[in-house]
Amino acid sequence: MRLPRNFRSIAGFPAPFVDTEFGGRVSVPLFSFPPNGQALQVYLPIAELSVNLFFLIGIGGAVGFLSGLFGVGGGFLLTPLLIFSGVPSPVAVASVTGQVVAASTSGALSYYRRGMIDLHLALYLVLSGILGAFIGVYIFSVLRAMGQLDLVISLGFVILLGSVGSLMMTESIRSILKRRAGIVVRREANQHNWFHGLPMRIRFKKSKLYISVLPVLVIGLVIGIVGSLLGIGGGFIMVPALVYLLRVPGNVVIGTSLLQVVAMMGATTILHAVQSQSVDILLAFCLMVGGTVGAQFGASAGQYLRGEQLRALLAILILLVAIRFAAGLLIAPGDPFSTAVIGPGGVL
Amino acid sequence: MAALLVLSGWLCWTDPASAARLVSLLSTDTVQITSSFSGETLSFFGNIAPDAGTAERYVEGPFHVVVVVIGPTMQRVARRKSNVWGLWLNTEQVVFDDVPSYFRVLSSDKLTEITDPVTLATENILPEAQPGLSAEAGWWRSTVFGREIVRLLGRRGFYGLDENAVNFQSDTVYSARLTLPSDTPPGPYIALTYVFKDGAVVARKSEGFGVRKIGFERFLGTAARQQPLLYGVVCVTLAVFVGWLGGVIFRR
Repeated sequence: MRLPRNFRSIAGFPAPFVDTEFGGRVSVPLFSFPPNGQALQVYLPIAELSVNLFFLIGIGGAVGFLSGLFGVGGGFLLTPLLIFSGVPSPVAVASVTGQVVAASTSGALSYYRRGMIDLHLALYLVLSGILGAFIGVYIFSVLRAMGQLDLVISLGFVILLGSVGSLMMTESIRSILKRRAGIVVRREANQHNWFHGLPMRIRFKKSKLYISVLPVLVIGLVIGIVGSLLGIGGGFIMVPALVYLLRVPGNVVIGTSLLQVVAMMGATTILHAVQSQSVDILLAFCLMVGGTVGAQFGASAGQYLRGEQLRALLAILILLVAIRFAAGLLIAPGDPFSTAVIGPGGVL
Repeated sequence: MAALLVLSGWLCWTDPASAARLVSLLSTDTVQITSSFSGETLSFFGNIAPDAGTAERYVEGPFHVVVVVIGPTMQRVARRKSNVWGLWLNTEQVVFDDVPSYFRVLSSDKLTEITDPVTLATENILPEAQPGLSAEAGWWRSTVFGREIVRLLGRRGFYGLDENAVNFQSDTVYSARLTLPSDTPPGPYIALTYVFKDGAVVARKSEGFGVRKIGFERFLGTAARQQPLLYGVVCVTLAVFVGWLGGVIFRR
């Protein structure tokens, strides 16, 4: 008669209930116990996984520090970081939009108090941006169903960050070299582009501009689509676009762009919550707290660095993220297969 | 040896005393996901007793116990990346309906020692068989992609086979432990317990337990699904408030 391999006989002898090897504890099957000792795990109700609270606030704070240092929203760093640390990309994108709103609000408010926002210009940007967000969130859900969301997010980051990063890099290196050579850089003003001749011209008093409304709407729309698709505020596209394309004066650029980011990302958060239900409010909140605090330290640290040095550092950072995404697309994956839940099942 | 097994199986099959009753117990009927949830260990206990209505006073072993824990089913997709013009893209996908999100088998011995493959297949005990067949993909692609789902979920600890997880404390009393990971999918679970004797099922029992978010996590989860607009508005309000508060506190 064969006995089961781990059968414990009580015939004649007491069963070996006490295991001396493990300090005389009651013998139980050897399982790996859950890591209860880990401090402060937070369970994220939408992402459905538990993450260390300090990790979340830490990356929120680190990204907030950088965003305060460079004056950008930080979404372009936070979304990739969350994706690389295991948060599903739909949840990462949708939740970071909430964080971007918080990060931009305090900046927008302080610019508003100082009267450095062109509300008229912002209105047009916000309206077209919200329209763009509708389109972007729609594309988002279509891509998610097709299984190509990760690809588009990666490609989008590579193209966007790669081009913006290299532009900033060349520009800042050139100005650093010029400063070394002792040349005073002066930007030529009032240069006209071809689209200044477009119809539907509107006077923006605060920006001292009399330009066609069409390029304004197109910029808002494009940033709305890209921002909602990639979970970034788009401030780092908006600011150059306003400065170089529309020739908006420097004193209202950042405030206007921040206001546009707040309104557009607010709309995007609501749209993501309705359309894909992938906004994790707890994840967003942890990131917000870390980000808001970190931004304050970043802003004060930024005063010790010169403008072109800051831009060069930011360009390096942007390029690194772009390279990381490009590597994911170009290097053969360790595992060509992946799986995802796409809907609720039937009964068991 | 094989002939001996077949012979002993045949002998026991004809034995009228092979029917048994399983008295079993689960350590909990609800696994609660709280904010600090980091997995939970479940215990299964049971005793194999003579069937009700028979004159038997005791049952004779040796018994083997297999516990199958099945999680809520989901519609799941498996995707394969391939290289298109230098870029690695998802190029192929197969959708499976009703894939258990959790499927772990605990047994008291190697499954091949406990019973034959036919019984394992008819009782649907093997994790590899769970994704089933996808209607539109055909048999071959269903099999290939289904195995990959099992492998990927197995690596996350959701699928698997623990072949010495059930321990016998006596001839008829067993216990088993199962640790649910921290990212266990919430939903209704079923634990199916099979008692095998000489390759045949002599008793079986199923117990249900739930893995559910409670308290604040549950509130947030349901709010996101049932009131998505309100949830989104609250999220934005919270963001604006945190941003404003940060500005006030640090006087930016």
